[in-house]
Amino acid sequence: MLQLIFSVILDTMYSWTRMLIALLISMVIALFTGIAVARSKKLNRVLMPVVDILQTLPILAFFPFAIYIFVFYLPGSIGVNAAVIFLIVTSMLWNIIFGVYQAIISLPSEYFDMARIYKLNLYQRLRKIFIPAALPRMSEQMSLSWAIGLFYLVTSEIFSVGTKNYAVKHGIGVEFVKAAATGNSYLYIYSIIVFVLFVIATRLLLFERFDRFANRYYLKDYKKRKRDRFTFNYFRSRGIKLDEETRHKLAITARIVFYALLTLLVGFTIYNAIPFVNLHLLSKLVGYEGYSLLSLLFSFLRVWGAFIAIIAISIPLSIKVVFLSNKTKRYLLLFQIFASIPATILLPAIAELVYGNSELLAFIIYFLSGLWYVIFSIVATTKYLPESIDEVKRIFHLNGIVAWKKIYLKAIMPGVITGAVTGIAAEWNASIVAEYFSAGSGKLITSVSIGVGKALNVALANNNLLLMGVLLANMVAMIIIINYFVWRRLYNRVNSVYS
Amino acid sequence: MAFLNVEKINFAYPKSGLTVLDGISFSANELEFVSIIGPSGCGKSTLLRIMAGLIKADSGSVVLAGKKINGPSSSISFVFQDFALLPWLSNLENVKIGLASKPMTEDEREKTALDMLYKLELKGFEDAYPNLLSGGMKQRVGLARALVSNPILLLMDEPFSSLDELTANSLRKTVVEVLKDKKTLPKAIIMVSHNIEEAVEMSDKIVVLSNKPAVVKKILDVKIKRPRDRGSREFRKKVNEIYSIFAE
Ligand SMILES: Nc1ncnc2c1ncn2[C@@H]1O[C@H](COP(=O)(O)OP(=O)(O)OP(=O)(O)O)[C@@H](O)[C@H]1O
Ligand SMILES: [Mg+2]
Repeated sequence: MLQLIFSVILDTMYSWTRMLIALLISMVIALFTGIAVARSKKLNRVLMPVVDILQTLPILAFFPFAIYIFVFYLPGSIGVNAAVIFLIVTSMLWNIIFGVYQAIISLPSEYFDMARIYKLNLYQRLRKIFIPAALPRMSEQMSLSWAIGLFYLVTSEIFSVGTKNYAVKHGIGVEFVKAAATGNSYLYIYSIIVFVLFVIATRLLLFERFDRFANRYYLKDYKKRKRDRFTFNYFRSRGIKLDEETRHKLAITARIVFYALLTLLVGFTIYNAIPFVNLHLLSKLVGYEGYSLLSLLFSFLRVWGAFIAIIAISIPLSIKVVFLSNKTKRYLLLFQIFASIPATILLPAIAELVYGNSELLAFIIYFLSGLWYVIFSIVATTKYLPESIDEVKRIFHLNGIVAWKKIYLKAIMPGVITGAVTGIAAEWNASIVAEYFSAGSGKLITSVSIGVGKALNVALANNNLLLMGVLLANMVAMIIIINYFVWRRLYNRVNSVYS
Repeated sequence: MAFLNVEKINFAYPKSGLTVLDGISFSANELEFVSIIGPSGCGKSTLLRIMAGLIKADSGSVVLAGKKINGPSSSISFVFQDFALLPWLSNLENVKIGLASKPMTEDEREKTALDMLYKLELKGFEDAYPNLLSGGMKQRVGLARALVSNPILLLMDEPFSSLDELTANSLRKTVVEVLKDKKTLPKAIIMVSHNIEEAVEMSDKIVVLSNKPAVVKKILDVKIKRPRDRGSREFRKKVNEIYSIFAE
């Protein structure tokens, strides 16, 4: 037994090493990108929309693709590890960038004047002003990134072990899969306990300390702090105030230019591609496209079905906890511990519980993957509500249904929308293991009839890069379209009223 | 017994343990406008919240029309310094909040709220949202919400201090105008202020508090004929009298 626990701890350390490397890389990239974007209008205009789109994409779904590419260029286990670390970085990076960016743009302008008066050079400015100023918000975002990264870590490890040729050799994910494959429930339980202990220890030993250190640099005169995660930040305000009409005209012009360029680009590509495309490839592409769309439709129904369930549960639950309970802090702590357990590690246990019903299993994994994003996003928005709302409630006797209708449900709307974007992205992230998973050596744990997650697995197993590309392109297009036409519109409407 | 009696109120915030209010007593008669003034941070807002039933005093009592105040009551209304409007409701909906606990049909609520918005010169802004309004307009909505339910006691916590002087002045005029209307007139009005001239202009009685802990330093009657002219000798004399109390 001791040996078992020892091997679990050793494997967890492998995983944590990947996480720490990824965190370090993310911090460095985010620090410089965030500062650059905050200080240069040009970079801002180019990079922010990109970052904004990237952070709403389920990048984990690209893992099969990434692993294929990395292993193609880097030898064996280095390639797989690089792919895992790369993936974790892409999950951690975005909100740290936004944190740094937010810290720098809300820095009072006196600091820049001071830097100019004393003629500080770039290095001095970085050391004395920008980096210290960015630290508190960076630290705040880092622990969020860590939680998101854990999900990516475990899911990508589990996924990788499930493949024939791309398995990582060590990692907590390996233990989970081993436990699932051999039906060793002791190993499974030990693994979960060790994992949670590591999560708690990291929080206490690393993040709490770093937070205390970083907050020494906390400036009281930051402009009012806004939401935690800056989804759609880009669309909100760009500092430049234009009157309504100019903005409208600009928006229309931008749109026309964009579509014109897009048409040109597509036309150009098709024109150039024609000589190279043979009929065989073309018919294959058409077939893949049909298969992709069908897979996407099925996965869409699962993901959105689970999302409706998430909404039905997270809204009343968050309202109860935030507005109607006096133990809010204790509940949130409990939620944080639950949320730190990636839903995907529960897969083997849930598979047992549902007797291998793959549809139900996928639904539960999707549900658990998205749930916490929505809840924490709602909680984050309510943090910035004016305190007087409670007094208004009491003075004007707003109770029961009236309070729900006029206050609670309305107050959480921005949080529900940003939570929906990130939550649904998290659900799609889970798709690569939720819909299809084999615990190595041919032991199939779950496999739905058809779906994107399954298709990606099958494509990787057959080294079918083209199919993977088609699947991912369709998925990304769908998510961008939905974000643009549904969530961004809703968000802009709500936001114009709320703030 | 006066219409409103504040009796030996003591209060300390549990967290800090420091006494904020130390034996505060004063009274207000029917149809009286009373101002409470005092240095910043002395406990004016705290006192007003105790009178509203939002906070419980450690000892002492507030008695309104013979009834002890134990918690928020539908006969007491409140105007907030920072307006405290609900940003996600239209201005009309915000005013209707003032009628939420009244047994009325939705139509009656809507009509009563509209009437009150018109009285506060907000015609045309019913369906706009508060955050699109200027501070002065926001406070008009806040006043409409407080007055729409015909409260018998109106409490106002520095209602004009978030506004610039010109806006504040015109809003004060509107308030005086609206309060002339006997049908909606609250029986008593208590306003917290740190602006001496404003207090002299509007009140029949001024309660002067001192700092740390707050005790009642003095209660003055203001018997200057209305409308009051800030330049008049009588007015200046009253203002100077209050300044000299603080100078002591
Ligand atoms: N919730 C609270 N907990 C602890 N102390 C508080 C709280 N609210 C206010 N205080 C303290 O109680 C004292 C009185 O506060 P209060 O807001 O009543 O003063 P005020 O006269 O209204 O001030 P201002 O002129 O700034 O509005 C202050 O010293 C304040 O710091
Ligand atoms: Mg106050």
